Amino acid sequence: METIIIDGLSFALPIMIIAVGGIYSERSGITNLALEGLLGFGAFSGGLFVALMSGYFAPASPTLIWLSFLIAMIGGAIYSMLHALLCIKFQANQVISGVVINILSVAITGFLTSQINTSVFGKPSDKFVLSVFQRITIPGLSKIPVIGAVFKDFYPFEVLIIVLIIICWYILYCTPFGMHLRACGDNPQAVDTAGINVNKVRFIAVLFSGALSGIGGMCFAYSISTNFSPAVYMGAGYLAISALIFGNWKIMPTFLACLIFGFARSGAYQVVKYMKLSSSFSDLAMTIPYILTLLLLVFFSKNNRAPRALGEIYDKGKR
Amino acid sequence: MKKSKNPLIRILGNKKWQFITIPVFAFLCSIIAITLIILLIGKNPGVAFHSLLQGSGILPKPKYAAHKGIITDFLEMLDMLTPMIFAALAVAVAFRAGLFNIGVSGQMLAAGFLTTITIGYSSLNAGLAKPLCLIMGAAVGALAGCLIGFLKYKFNINEVVSSIMLNYIFQYIISYFINTRYVDPVSRQSRDVSATARLTLQNVSAGDYKMKLPICIIIAVFAAVFVWFFFKKTRQGYEFHAVGRNVTASKYAGIKVGKTIVLAMTFSGALAGLSGVTYYMGYFSSIQPNTLASTGFDSIAVSLLGNSHPIGILASSFLITVLSKGSTYMSSTAGVRYEVASLIIGMILLFSACGAYIRNTVDRYTKEKGAENGNNNN
Repeated sequence: METIIIDGLSFALPIMIIAVGGIYSERSGITNLALEGLLGFGAFSGGLFVALMSGYFAPASPTLIWLSFLIAMIGGAIYSMLHALLCIKFQANQVISGVVINILSVAITGFLTSQINTSVFGKPSDKFVLSVFQRITIPGLSKIPVIGAVFKDFYPFEVLIIVLIIICWYILYCTPFGMHLRACGDNPQAVDTAGINVNKVRFIAVLFSGALSGIGGMCFAYSISTNFSPAVYMGAGYLAISALIFGNWKIMPTFLACLIFGFARSGAYQVVKYMKLSSSFSDLAMTIPYILTLLLLVFFSKNNRAPRALGEIYDKGKR
Repeated sequence: MKKSKNPLIRILGNKKWQFITIPVFAFLCSIIAITLIILLIGKNPGVAFHSLLQGSGILPKPKYAAHKGIITDFLEMLDMLTPMIFAALAVAVAFRAGLFNIGVSGQMLAAGFLTTITIGYSSLNAGLAKPLCLIMGAAVGALAGCLIGFLKYKFNINEVVSSIMLNYIFQYIISYFINTRYVDPVSRQSRDVSATARLTLQNVSAGDYKMKLPICIIIAVFAAVFVWFFFKKTRQGYEFHAVGRNVTASKYAGIKVGKTIVLAMTFSGALAGLSGVTYYMGYFSSIQPNTLASTGFDSIAVSLLGNSHPIGILASSFLITVLSKGSTYMSSTAGVRYEVASLIIGMILLFSACGAYIRNTVDRYTKEKGAENGNNNN
């Protein structure tokens, strides 16, 4: 039971932060299929930073780890500018742009990782090794039955993610900027009439999605394999997209969707382990979160509605 | 409109030919960008491009192994092209009706797997097995597509979510069955399909050459023409278009939107199924557990590069396949990493995504010029 909660959270929270990024972008009216590419590029920049700087820090230094998150965030944001430029300035179809960003991200990071490894570090390898991110336990709270597992053996980045989610929730729903952002996705002409630059708001929203996806990507790089390799492109971005659509483009329901995902996944693993089934059964068990999601959608998606102006290029002349 | 002095603007400004000049211009831009990148890593771009084309059987290589020649390379490239055309058509058909089929990979896998275990492992003779493979593949794909369309129509489930979920479900279930029942202990993949069922003829001798003969490429081209005819000349095809452009208006015009959505996904799924059988039982002969074919995702980009037009798709799949097929040869001869090929593909897509912007800029430029000239004449 404890393991279900511990593993479930460490999978659900990174997906959630990526999904929040997606919500920002999509609520502002920019379809964001690029989350997968953004998280990969973020993780790449973080990984590159660690590989370059690890000589100057003590092994497994927490400063380096937190700095790598900052760099991943910046890297993701910079890369997402490409998506923003294509969608806003160059009037590209947003679906096309998203797919292009993903393909390009896999190509660029794969190419640069092996190129830098050979020419800078002189060893042919397709990954950057990261230090192990220690899990921590809060002494008192972790003793509470069942719920205590939330405070046990968690990665420090999970705290960061929760703080960020709260901040993002506040910005989106309680500040003027958040209101403008949401209005841009539903009625951009009205926003323009109110004297606010639609394209600027959308640009910032896409930057948010890049930065948040970068953090999510870095989390996966640490938690799955403690290195950056092309294995980080394992479909987390697409999962985040489905979570945010499941959550009807709202932060709290999306959070719930991510938790269902995470717990169903770790729960299924534990069941296989507990019943001492062979490892090939874990493949069957892995379908549970996805089947569960589909079933839940059958009941809960009747009233789902995308932001009205989602995917449309803003055209001043249109009414 | 006055003719502009600048020849580039004049060519690009010609409305009648813009559908071809703009993509070609975007393509040239991306080639320039790639040339710069290859120069930057200190390699010779000419050699790199040359070896790309050599690797995919467009240009002759300096020397060949026994029974090999430019024709064998070219046929191997066609072998890789076949599933790509089907998959890109699948994306285009769904796109026409305003749907985004991101689940082509999953539908391919389902069709490939079910056809492999039923017909691929049977002892039917070739004349019966090959057509049955195609029919079975299309049917399985159509069912999977139909399910996605039905979920959207009946329960308002966004097709992107349901197809991503189905991708994972197919991937894991099929991996389970391959690992427990159909695994080849040496290759850790599913057992090879029988030669009679395989859709690409192996080791066909002609003259001195031993080659693979991808017979389904003919069907793929035929399918593209059929899709073109369907879009252009049939009522159902027009209804797809109408629903894709404006659901509300279609509803008022008396089009059954729900039925159209289900039909479009079914059609798209059938094409994805054909792609699956030509991929897993033609280009390959076995299925690797726990992996989705990247063809399914690449096909989205290929379809969009071809402007979702069936004939455009033939051209864009050819271009992309030539680039990816030649990448292995390029990395071995020119010393350029094979990742560069995917970088080239990414660049081409990036620039062609800006097609609308190039068109608008050119139009604005020609208009300004026209206005200026008009003023001068006054």
